[in-house]
Amino acid sequence: MFEIKPTLNALMRSKLGAVLLILQLAITLAIVSNAVSIIQDRLTYLNQDTGYPEAAIFKFNSLNFDKQLNRLQQVELDEQQLRNIDGVIAAAAVSSVPLSGSGSSDGIQLKPMPQESKRVNMGYVTGDEHMLRALGASLSEGRDFTEDDVVVSDGDGRLPSVIIVSRAVTDALFGPSKGLGETVYWGTNPLTIVGIVDTMANQWPKSSFGENTALIPVIRAGNFQKFIVRTAPQDRAQVMRQIEELMLASHRERVISDVTGLDQKKARYDAKDVLMMRMLMTLIVVLVIVTALGIFGLSTFNISKRTKQIGTRRALGARKSAIVRYFVVENALICAMGLALGAAAAVLLGQQLMQWYSVPALGYSFIAVTAGLLLLMSLLSVLMPALRAANISPSIATRSV
Amino acid sequence: MFTHYIDLAWRSLRQTPLVTFLMVLAIAIGIGVTMTTLSVYHMMSTDPIPDKSDRLFAVQLQPMDDGANLATGHDMPYQLAYQDAINLQALSGDFLRAPMIRAGFSVHLNTPQSKPVVEDARVTDSDFFSMFNLTFIHGSAWTETQAQSAAPVVVLDEEMAQQMFGKTDVVGESLFLGERRHEIVGVTQKWRPNIKFYDLNNGAFGKAERLFVPFSHVKAYDVDTWGNTNAWKFEETRNFNDKMNSEMTWIQFWVQLDTPAQRQAYGDMLMAYMQQQQKLGRFNREELAYGLQDVNAWMSYNKVISEDNKILVGLSFMFLAVCVANILGLLLAKFMRRAADVGVRRALGASKRQVFYQHLVEVGMLGLLGGAVGIVFAQLGLLGVRQSYDYYNNLANMDWVMLLSAPVIAISACILAGLYPAWLVCRTTPATHLKVQ
Repeated sequence: MFEIKPTLNALMRSKLGAVLLILQLAITLAIVSNAVSIIQDRLTYLNQDTGYPEAAIFKFNSLNFDKQLNRLQQVELDEQQLRNIDGVIAAAAVSSVPLSGSGSSDGIQLKPMPQESKRVNMGYVTGDEHMLRALGASLSEGRDFTEDDVVVSDGDGRLPSVIIVSRAVTDALFGPSKGLGETVYWGTNPLTIVGIVDTMANQWPKSSFGENTALIPVIRAGNFQKFIVRTAPQDRAQVMRQIEELMLASHRERVISDVTGLDQKKARYDAKDVLMMRMLMTLIVVLVIVTALGIFGLSTFNISKRTKQIGTRRALGARKSAIVRYFVVENALICAMGLALGAAAAVLLGQQLMQWYSVPALGYSFIAVTAGLLLLMSLLSVLMPALRAANISPSIATRSV
Repeated sequence: MFTHYIDLAWRSLRQTPLVTFLMVLAIAIGIGVTMTTLSVYHMMSTDPIPDKSDRLFAVQLQPMDDGANLATGHDMPYQLAYQDAINLQALSGDFLRAPMIRAGFSVHLNTPQSKPVVEDARVTDSDFFSMFNLTFIHGSAWTETQAQSAAPVVVLDEEMAQQMFGKTDVVGESLFLGERRHEIVGVTQKWRPNIKFYDLNNGAFGKAERLFVPFSHVKAYDVDTWGNTNAWKFEETRNFNDKMNSEMTWIQFWVQLDTPAQRQAYGDMLMAYMQQQQKLGRFNREELAYGLQDVNAWMSYNKVISEDNKILVGLSFMFLAVCVANILGLLLAKFMRRAADVGVRRALGASKRQVFYQHLVEVGMLGLLGGAVGIVFAQLGLLGVRQSYDYYNNLANMDWVMLLSAPVIAISACILAGLYPAWLVCRTTPATHLKVQ
């Protein structure tokens, strides 16, 4: 009833238009399904929980240039002052800031260096016993640092004896739900794991070891010091505004810089991914519009070329619906071929992308969903020209051209 | 004849405004998308110092023990250990060389009015300025004697001088870097390469430094790097002195070698140096190796062009192909409808070749129009890129190469699309159409 055979025959007689459409649809399917897959991958990453209440935390730097200054004393004083600010819940001087893309990474292993043993890479943050609270990360096992855990090191290289790590670290070293109370080695120095945090991203959440994080209770006061401050989310802006003035009031010979929310730090770190997503989305939108226009244009052309033929069919008793059906079926046939070719092209493109770049494998469901939507779009674009064709009057057939 | 064809093309385009509009729109969107991604790609891959990029070399040594590896994954560290940098700097030979690190200071005038600012600084040797084409507008680089005695001197760029003093001629004045007073010995012209090719460790598209101090300050004043430090083996480092004596790599090193012979000689020198160090118990590798890569090789080795960008360039050219297919379809429709016209022209004596050319001129004109509108779309796209990611501010722009490429690509794409329809049209036999008429 769909008159597939005659439709196909007619198609074979003017192949080029159909071939063009098939190619367009195939490329569109290949690009869109791969682009959606990449977008999906980035979205999954961007929506991942980092373990921190990012909107309630901010950081800033203090660069001292007073030679006489007792740096350790100043850090203590600064922390004290920060905690006294209205609205501040916790504050700590730290060596680097999670999610910021900058800091130190190292490995810890089961046996002291230089012995060979199982080793895990991690990003680490050093600071005092307020560090965990200031980061707003919640312990799932064990305890927080106490004042006695903290080692103050002024160039003598003394190291602490305890460490708090993220679950990813203990999972990798000891297996699931183990690790608390175990000893690991940082170089030659033994550290006992006193606390485990389920989710705690490090300075490079995008990296292969982005979930491996360690907090180490050492204070090393240099002239460049980073601070982390946690407030209630609604108080943050107001606290951030007064930081520079307050810090300079207590000690003038320094520069306060980069007073930035943790969410903003993360946004900066992720800006490249957001840009990639936006560009891919733009590409998808214009591609779909251009392809829809192409289908519309070509159907219009086909129909105007066959005006006489349509008139003849109508004069011979074809219903309007039959005319519409003819063009819809024709379009569906072309579309099916294009999408079949496109599915193959999508798989191929996905394989190439995966081979050359760090792009995840393309799920077949992306191809299927995209193909379905393209089919729908294609039917919608052919409908208007087809309806117009159905309105061609039979008398057309009796006139020449 | 050509002007006549242009006239004909213009008439033909105006005859079918809707189809013309659709075609111009299709090519413009295609060019807009393609040029947006291509411009960023182009800026990332453009030679930042074309007149001497093949004479400047980043130096790498292979200090790692057999079996040792860097967490970064490739086989040779990007940077050198301090002791190697110092030793290479001391090698004799008539060529420019510059060990360097990125550091930072709080910069101020030590007056109650001056508000200190945090500023990046390049800690390097005086050869840096001539190697990387910096021009002095006042004063000069520090002298050899000053460098050797770690004299507290500094070179600024004109923008920094303007910011601190409100004028550029500030040679002889002094500036405080942290607690230390530095005498200004030179002011350079503003220097902002799009790609920070001489220091790809710390963000390839970061802003170039505006302050320069002698490399001897590293040791004299314990100036540590604000960039990466990588270690490939475990060493106890308790203080900065330990770090300077360690195998940690944190110093960048560049040399300028003008001839292949010089390059060969320098390579031999590096090899000899490593063998000499081997006797002292370092460089314990069976196979000693060094890296000597020129600017462009160094940029591709450091993967300056992001993966994302390469993917986008590829996808946008596929997108352009869709636009071309679209235009091909529309052209086919349009040209075939005009077959009768062409029949008359053929009957009146126009050759096939002339008809073919005439139609190509028409599609070329379409390409030109589409390319022009496409540049506008591309500018919007680049604006969007800059808005999304300010780190790309210098890169998301079209230089004249890209501005010229846009119409060239647009016209080529249109001609590609127009070839087949034009060929079909010129093949029509006049007789059939004349009969129908």
